[in-house]
Amino acid sequence: MISANDRLADIGPFVPAADDDLIICRCEEVTKGEIRKAVHAGMYTLTEVRRYLRCGMGLCQGQTCGRLVRNIIARELGRKSSELEPATGRAPMRPTEMKILSSEKGVE
Amino acid sequence: MNQTSDVIIIGSGIIGCAAAYYLAKKGVSVMVLEAADSIGNGGSSRNGGGVRQSGRDSRELPMVMWGIKHIWPTLSEELGTDVEYTQKGNLRLGKTPSHLKILQGLTDRAVACGLDVRMIDGEEVRKINPYLSDEVLGASWCPTDGHANPLTTTLGYFKKARELGVRFITGEPVLALKKVKGKVNTVITPDGNFECDKILVAAGYETREITSSVEVDVPMRKQKIECLVTEAEPHMFDQMLGTAEADFYGHQTKHGSFVFGGSTGLEPFLASDKAAPSTSIGAACTCRGIMKYFPALSNAKIVRTWAGWLDASADGIPVIGAADGAPGLFLACGFTGHGFGIGPAAAYSIAEVMTDGTPPVNMEPFRCTRFKAKV
Amino acid sequence: MKRYDLVIIGAGPAGLSAAAEASKCGMSVAVFDENAKPGGQLFKQIHKFFGSKKHKARIRGYKIGEQLLSEVAGGVDVELNSPVIGIYPEKEIVVRQGEDIVHCKADSIIVATGATENMVPFEGWTLPGVIGAGAAQTMMNLHGVKPGEKILMLGSGNVGLVVSFQLLQAGCKVRALVDAAPHIGGYGVHAAKVARCGVPFYLSHTITKAEGTDCVTGAVVSQVDEHFQPIPGTEKHFDVDTICVAVGLSPMAQLLMMAGCEMEDARGGHVPVCGQYGETSVPGIYAAGDVSGIEEASSAMIEGRMAGICAAAYLGFCSEKDKNASLTKLSEDLNDLRQGMFAPQNRGKMIKKTEEGIDISQTLLAEGHITTEEAERFPGVVHEVGVHPVIECTQNIPCNPCQDVCPKHCIKVGKDITALPQVDTNIQCIGCGMCVASCSGQAIFLLDENSEPGFGTVTMPYEFLPLPQQGAKGTALDRSGVPVCDAEVVGVKTAPAFDHTSLLTIKVPKDKVMDARFFKKGELEDDKCK
Repeated sequence: MISANDRLADIGPFVPAADDDLIICRCEEVTKGEIRKAVHAGMYTLTEVRRYLRCGMGLCQGQTCGRLVRNIIARELGRKSSELEPATGRAPMRPTEMKILSSEKGVE
Repeated sequence: MNQTSDVIIIGSGIIGCAAAYYLAKKGVSVMVLEAADSIGNGGSSRNGGGVRQSGRDSRELPMVMWGIKHIWPTLSEELGTDVEYTQKGNLRLGKTPSHLKILQGLTDRAVACGLDVRMIDGEEVRKINPYLSDEVLGASWCPTDGHANPLTTTLGYFKKARELGVRFITGEPVLALKKVKGKVNTVITPDGNFECDKILVAAGYETREITSSVEVDVPMRKQKIECLVTEAEPHMFDQMLGTAEADFYGHQTKHGSFVFGGSTGLEPFLASDKAAPSTSIGAACTCRGIMKYFPALSNAKIVRTWAGWLDASADGIPVIGAADGAPGLFLACGFTGHGFGIGPAAAYSIAEVMTDGTPPVNMEPFRCTRFKAKV
Repeated sequence: MKRYDLVIIGAGPAGLSAAAEASKCGMSVAVFDENAKPGGQLFKQIHKFFGSKKHKARIRGYKIGEQLLSEVAGGVDVELNSPVIGIYPEKEIVVRQGEDIVHCKADSIIVATGATENMVPFEGWTLPGVIGAGAAQTMMNLHGVKPGEKILMLGSGNVGLVVSFQLLQAGCKVRALVDAAPHIGGYGVHAAKVARCGVPFYLSHTITKAEGTDCVTGAVVSQVDEHFQPIPGTEKHFDVDTICVAVGLSPMAQLLMMAGCEMEDARGGHVPVCGQYGETSVPGIYAAGDVSGIEEASSAMIEGRMAGICAAAYLGFCSEKDKNASLTKLSEDLNDLRQGMFAPQNRGKMIKKTEEGIDISQTLLAEGHITTEEAERFPGVVHEVGVHPVIECTQNIPCNPCQDVCPKHCIKVGKDITALPQVDTNIQCIGCGMCVASCSGQAIFLLDENSEPGFGTVTMPYEFLPLPQQGAKGTALDRSGVPVCDAEVVGVKTAPAFDHTSLLTIKVPKDKVMDARFFKKGELEDDKCK
């Protein structure tokens, strides 16, 4: 319980890897190494990593990379990815132009 | 379990993280307890990113002005995180004579406090920001205002505080505080008791429930606020924007996306459930507000909308300081939806108060005993 | 604000099935789908489905889609090009339609949004030419566009196998089928169809690099160790222009999350916590199909019907008695599908023997085909005088059209539809070929082991164009796509009842009838894969 949520928990040092340059989030061009480093800076949740690096915050809203980022964080923390909360589902589910979003029908 | 530290901070928003950092820098041992799974999950990661002096209540102006002068310009270097602070001014826009009247009033009060803010006409507005529609008649212009990235600022403080040894524990809701021999020194969570010399509660509206266990209360109201973000667009402008009507506020981020917030007017009457889902009409309303001023953005795609709760205090400015009648307990809450820009200075100030140091500004306006009956 | 009894999100197999049931009960139903055409993935499915008659077995997916559409025609408002952008409190749904967003409310909601393809990152994975297998299927089967000329398929699950076959049908060259797992993940019969066309399988291999600067110009594949790490020195290069990724699906459950449904990590991703019939934790909101857990379209259709009936009963459009009767029957149908080696409860398990106690072919799991020797131990493989079926169906999968269509009843699966088909040698086969054409796995052949002195014939299912003509000369290939002998086409049969599967009969030397399983017309190409 506490140990898992304790942000001083020892997860070992950041060890550079050959594939650190691999792009994981295509929309925002965030690499595997950046994600791994963020975990070592204390970002232990998918939400924090997204907010810190913008991965999964682009046009596809993490539809492609969400699962990948979650797996990378889990592996870095030595946990199962199912133990990590996935990203929150937020509207609009598909990118929507301002002029369309502003034109409401059926509100009355 | 008994865990001890000098200070326990409840809440890991920008106030909690920054106060932890400033206290740790002074050599104080600090533990931060956060109820949510993620750091800074409340208003600190849900606001529009304004670092603004203009338009503020004159009682809190000295504090935010101090922060803008002494903290924000070097914050990225200090934290080792790009907080994307941009000091390129704030335009508060008006489209009607009555708007201009509102803006004039705000401007006069700010000038009286020594802030460099002035009224400008539509032509000058469009010189500063050529994308604004011709309907804009004028604006209040504060060149020293700006904006920053609330996400990286909050997480940047967290990261730096953690480097200094601050122990953050997430998913740790506080059930109650406890007074022992007249002093508030115990924090009770589902995992046990945490003991310390001093406690800072900076938990937004939730502060209320936590401090009620030691008979302390701040008159506040919980209110929903909504924001949206577009996909990245080519660079257009750097100013922070707002309107006299308060139909939207926002800016273009360093990344290129536009972050805007707005309100529908129905906020005070929404069900105050625990979750904070955006409303079905909030983003649409904000978009209509934006397009009246920025027709050029009509094709920008919204990729995400969100909502958060603000802690509106009874008189519109925060409580920052020692709790009345509860030695050892300190409060920083009630920021009323403008806590981000003032956050670093507020956190710095409370850290000074808690270590018997010298706060940079007079803390009197923020005392918790100020709320009185109207007659 | 417009209010419906039921709003269904997603007009795929689950959503349309739900709509059919709900509208039958008298509900006002709107179905919103973001695509321009209804049917979800069904209209991309040009292969014949598995199962039994009640599961629409041996009917091609797109035809099932057409049947579903005609079932909902008239009674249901199917709104296309209508992405739902959010579900808000009090079951308010916001849909983008044209240049507006439209608000409406529903007294019940069924979310049937399906799934999205998983990706796997490797060097060069962001290059144009690296595409999802589902995307390849959309290009070929909906838009008539070849995704590429030379393909490398990553993933040996059913999607990877089915799409590989369809790529071959579209005229692409599939250079390799690669999977990091040591065994093929999908149905053996799907793998066998691909293997006999000559596609090599690389199990315990993974792609380590997509080559190219502006688009894919090649791929590097390496063998992996037991931790799925590439083994240096095992790199193989493939000259391909397209890399198809078929590494699983993730439920698209964000709308359910937004609607406040309790979620869990199970059944292939982040899914709503669901009751037996798709009831989520929010009263009146249901989930059906892949969004509630990755499965097949056949099960999605049953789940959709269940959710439709539950929504109807929730709002009093259907009595509890009728609901229970319908759900009991549908549960049985669903249960039939969830049997056998590939059942959800067996996911990840290594099954060594069939339900009949026969050893599973290890060659099938490793290379995508059984060997002639292994074939002999299965009950569908018999030797008789004259024409008779040889059924190379060696895994317990829920499917029985072969039993249904044989007019002489010489093929027996039995009540349990996952049982391996047996050939009753006491009944004389009339060589009608219905079993060959109906087998969704294309695993049935008609053999005449001694049609004339020294020769026999092999009749095989054939789904390629152009169809060879009678008298055409070419090469017989074995189950692994390796040439075994010269062959001549002595019969070509097409019939409406065969539903676009032609029957090709080739003459081969007598000792090759148990080896020859595919036919290539004319001279073999030099750049053949193996």
